[in-house]
Amino acid sequence: MLGPAVRMEAEAGVGRRLLGHRGALAGLLLIGLILLPAVAAPLLPLADPALTAPARRMLPPLVQGHLLGSDQFGRDLLARLIWGTRSSLLVGVLATGVAALAGSLIGIAAGWFGRFADAVLMRGVDVLLAFPYLLLALAIVAALGPGLTNAMIAIAVANIPFFARAVRGAVVDIRHQDYVAAARLAGHGEWRIVGSEVLPNLTPVLLVLMTTTLGWMVLETAGLSFLGLGAQPPRADLGSMLGEGRAFLTTYPRVALLPGLVILLLVVGINLLGDALRDLTDPRMRTATPAGGGDTRAHAAAAPALPKARPDADPHGPRALLEVRDLGVDLLTAASPLGVVDDVSFQLDRGERVALVGESGSGKTLTALALLRLLPESARTRGSIRLAGQELTALPASALRGLRGRRIAYVPQEPLTALDPLFRIGAQIDETLRAHAPARDPRPRAAQLIEQVGLARVPGLRRRFPHELSGGQRQRVAIALALAHEPDLLIADEATTALDVTVQQEIIALLRRLCEDQDRALLFISHDLALVARLCRCVLVMYAGRIVEDAPMGQLLTQPRHPYSAALLACSPELGRPDKPLPAVAGEPPPPGTVHAGCPFAPRCPRAQPVCRDTDPPLVPVAAGHQARCLFPLQGKR
Amino acid sequence: MTAYLIRRGLLLVPVLLGVSLVVFGVMSLVPGDPALAILGPYATPERLADLRVELGLDQSWPVRYLHWLGNLAHGDLGRSVSLERPVLDTVLERLGPTLLLGGSALVMGTLLGFAAAMLAALRQNRTADRLVTLLVLLGISIPSFWLGLLLILVFAVWLGWLPVSGMTTVWLPGATAADVLRHLLLPMLSLSLVAAGVLGRIGRSAAIDVFAAEHIRLCRARGISERRIVLVHGLKAILARMAPVIGLQAGFLIGGAVYIETIFQWPGLGRMLVDAIAARDLRLVQGGVLVLATAYVLVNLAADLMQHGLDRRTRAA
Repeated sequence: MLGPAVRMEAEAGVGRRLLGHRGALAGLLLIGLILLPAVAAPLLPLADPALTAPARRMLPPLVQGHLLGSDQFGRDLLARLIWGTRSSLLVGVLATGVAALAGSLIGIAAGWFGRFADAVLMRGVDVLLAFPYLLLALAIVAALGPGLTNAMIAIAVANIPFFARAVRGAVVDIRHQDYVAAARLAGHGEWRIVGSEVLPNLTPVLLVLMTTTLGWMVLETAGLSFLGLGAQPPRADLGSMLGEGRAFLTTYPRVALLPGLVILLLVVGINLLGDALRDLTDPRMRTATPAGGGDTRAHAAAAPALPKARPDADPHGPRALLEVRDLGVDLLTAASPLGVVDDVSFQLDRGERVALVGESGSGKTLTALALLRLLPESARTRGSIRLAGQELTALPASALRGLRGRRIAYVPQEPLTALDPLFRIGAQIDETLRAHAPARDPRPRAAQLIEQVGLARVPGLRRRFPHELSGGQRQRVAIALALAHEPDLLIADEATTALDVTVQQEIIALLRRLCEDQDRALLFISHDLALVARLCRCVLVMYAGRIVEDAPMGQLLTQPRHPYSAALLACSPELGRPDKPLPAVAGEPPPPGTVHAGCPFAPRCPRAQPVCRDTDPPLVPVAAGHQARCLFPLQGKR
Repeated sequence: MTAYLIRRGLLLVPVLLGVSLVVFGVMSLVPGDPALAILGPYATPERLADLRVELGLDQSWPVRYLHWLGNLAHGDLGRSVSLERPVLDTVLERLGPTLLLGGSALVMGTLLGFAAAMLAALRQNRTADRLVTLLVLLGISIPSFWLGLLLILVFAVWLGWLPVSGMTTVWLPGATAADVLRHLLLPMLSLSLVAAGVLGRIGRSAAIDVFAAEHIRLCRARGISERRIVLVHGLKAILARMAPVIGLQAGFLIGGAVYIETIFQWPGLGRMLVDAIAARDLRLVQGGVLVLATAYVLVNLAADLMQHGLDRRTRAA
């Protein structure tokens, strides 16, 4: 293996990165092992592969100078294998080249010149693609007659549609790129742009396509030869050797099996290389995820020591529903864990409504998912989460499932992705009800829920799919699902962000009513302070993965103590004051996981002192029920 | 659903016309005199002359195509020279065994491929995933004709568990289902493992996407059991995505069937094609290719309908 320094060089060329890719290395090795003797065949001291010697037929390996023995006509098997590989490879490469060239011409014509050419060419390609792949090749061989050249032509022609379609797609992509528009503006002619912009950008795509197809071409030419439609005696390729050796399968399996093994190894090598090339040129098509991802055993092993159970752990009386202590979330990456949420502690009483506010990327959603223990496997949770005194971080999966949806429920940000698009609304509600009450008929309660969220008058709601509803209706369905088992705690994650303003207000009113009626606690996550002001009594302001201010809503609105909260407030629009300028919080939030020596907000803070840059402030009380994480909290009225 | 069905059905017409045009066109690639190519070098001059008229070689290309298409509409695919009987009769006779072999291999390959894909996706980057990735690589790289020989060697020759070939006898009256199954097992396995490789490979990334999708993860927030998430929500989403890929696999299976039927002496269309090509029986080749290509188009139609049934958001292109 190469050193990490080489692998980490993102700028290194594909060729160099290939050598650092384990699959590519294995592929290159396999190909080299087979390719070298095949290329060097005329120079190697091999027996004449066509020299028959009936007296020496079917000799076992290592006898009379035959390393691998001889075949049914006494020909040296090794020599035939090497020369056969040469034929197979040559035909495969030629067929790939011809198909790629012809396919590219069609693809470029269709993709670049568009409209009429595109319509005509692509309809033709579609019809050819409607053929089972080998069948077209067979028909062509049938018409032209058997022979290695004809087989090659047939395989090449049968692959032209595939290349044409792929190249057209790539060309259409390139055509819409800025650099093409720039070349046009510069007054370059169409042909010149094709030559100077399209072809160079198409080459890598084409190379990957050719590598991934080459293995397939080798297989199929071998197949035609196997059927006796390709190489004709005395000429042989791996396929025809296999086909001729088939007659002796039971007595001398070696003769048929060896050529097949060579084909297999060669194609495995080519496919490994093709996969690696695709990985390196198009990260979206990765065949495997990078190391370090989801290993839950590591997760379990690294789980934090749980805080000792304290029998008198409840200093806030029986009203405390959710207690979060020192919650942290680390994302496991290839390099080192990224601390994205840290030192989050808060408490939520029964029936209380608390807002969690911050910019995107501040760790709000991760905190919410951590509370439900729904973080992806690549994330690790630290600290303690207690629901009505029960420690959640220690619970086994089955017990967690018993809580989710029943005691804690979640209303997601975008119900279009949060509802399963393939199931009808009725089925999803029933399923949710059955999850914790498998024996009961879910329909009466489902009807009640639909009524509760104000969807009773939507005709045929139960039979509809999520995409057949409006955004507001979908969010109501998501709320109905969350309410199914009358949970004690509702976590709503940006639950109104995707909706327009009037619908937003309706959903807020609905959530408020549903919580007030049943003494239900709500953790409402939002980036919009103005919105939560009407819903929640307490607010937690989050910045860079930590709570920077914890205050009663009224106090935060009138007298924010942390400069970040103040900046957020300044950004909220006020109704009836269109003249008010809407400043954004100056600067950018730090990327999640940044390690800070001082206060994370210091670089953006108008009040920052030198000491702020190297002292990380703790969360300290600034007034009754009011905490802020600032060395120089704001004083007095805003 | 009905609107989709009608629209998708109408799309069949141009595709099938195109297919017939290609089948007709490829056969006109034959170098030299088509009549001579069809009847072979020992044909009498009279028969050659007759056939030339019958083929309409004195007429223009479009006229000949329309004439051929007209015959096709009446179920007339011409006469096979090597078998001396109507092409249609032979083709229909051979279609059954190919559908049995190809259909069972498609089902088997889909089951194996999906099982591998889901296992790999659920155990991502662990031993099971790596093993599946390796098997899948072998699956897409292995020549199916070689795999068939290997299976014969192991299960028929060395272990003696299953017959090498001889399906021909099974189609006679009195054959039992158990006997058919015994003959079917090896060819079906050889054919399905390759399809399982491709489906496992594409299915793995589809399954990883699906299981990472928010609506699947959020099923957990509702307290739905893991089992139900994987087998109901996950499987349906994967199936909806993979339906067109399964349809495409049918095309590769038809190609693979040509090899496998040859190796196992299976009395299907694939072997008929190989024999017909060897005998230069172009009419028979034409008929076989046409029927198989049509079957493939229909399988893809079924795959599209399945996808639409699973996911109503899909539209007919």
